[in-house]
Amino acid sequence: MIQTIAFYLFATLLIASGALTILARNPVHSVLWLILAFFNAAGLMVLVGAEFIAMLLVIVYVGAVAVLFLFVVMMLDIDFAELRAGLARYLPFGMVLALVLLCEMVFAVGAWRAGGVDLGHRLGATPADVPNIEAIGTLLYTRYLYIFEGAGLVLLVAMIGAIVLTHRARSGVRPQNVAAQNRRRPEDAIRKVNQPVGQGVEL
Amino acid sequence: MVDLSQYLPILLFLGVAIVLSTAFVVLPMVAAQFTGANKPNPDKLAEYECGFPAFEDSRAQFDVRFYLVAILFIIFDLEAAFLYPWAVSLKEIGWTGWLAMMTFLAELVLGFVYAWKKGALEWE
Repeated sequence: MIQTIAFYLFATLLIASGALTILARNPVHSVLWLILAFFNAAGLMVLVGAEFIAMLLVIVYVGAVAVLFLFVVMMLDIDFAELRAGLARYLPFGMVLALVLLCEMVFAVGAWRAGGVDLGHRLGATPADVPNIEAIGTLLYTRYLYIFEGAGLVLLVAMIGAIVLTHRARSGVRPQNVAAQNRRRPEDAIRKVNQPVGQGVEL
Repeated sequence: MVDLSQYLPILLFLGVAIVLSTAFVVLPMVAAQFTGANKPNPDKLAEYECGFPAFEDSRAQFDVRFYLVAILFIIFDLEAAFLYPWAVSLKEIGWTGWLAMMTFLAELVLGFVYAWKKGALEWE
């Protein structure tokens, strides 16, 4: 009973915020609606029993991907009037894309109704006695070891790529040199002078 | 399978939060409807004394360096996300799993050292 209510609550909010994501005029508002959609999707994931996926949605998508989207939106210099003027020109192409997506959804639902793909049943069946985060862990780090290490390499490439593309060494800045600061002793910086009266100070 | 009943308190908290936040937004509006006179005119809504009409959109273009910080954050966020199932199932996966995670961490430490040496972690 409560599960049904929660499902309809999350599903309704998810669809509503998804629609508002594409309907909002301000792209920043779009991103905020997207964050709400992510939260509701996490709620749905908890309802179907995929707790780890729900946690990933909140930590990775809400915490990091949405922030990245916000930065991208803020970084682009978007002219809204120009953006809207292009609607008529891009409408046919957009309709074709939407049609393709619709066909794919119809095919997917049809295939699912026809009995599903056997590949998903072999290892995908959730063991009933352990939490699914543990089930993921036992498979991911042993059977799918290469894919896991490959994911690590992909992350490494992404990190190096981002640094190569966006990092510029700025000239004229004088960053703090912690090692040099720590190496410096009082003897290097202080001089004790017994200054005679009537003579100038030697600097 | 997941015992959903342990999530019931969170759902209740969610309901309480929604009710409270709605009340805090709606109740002042209702109170204002009954207590104050709402007769706006163009002069009343104009910028008053210290204010001035906005020169431009408040949206300013961000520096690309924010993007680099966000990318680095995502990558280490994902690394942390991979650590959770590993930590839970470490007893079953044994030394193989332990070594797998150490290799994974070493890959990312490599990237971390690169970022550090390139100065990508420093702002100026």
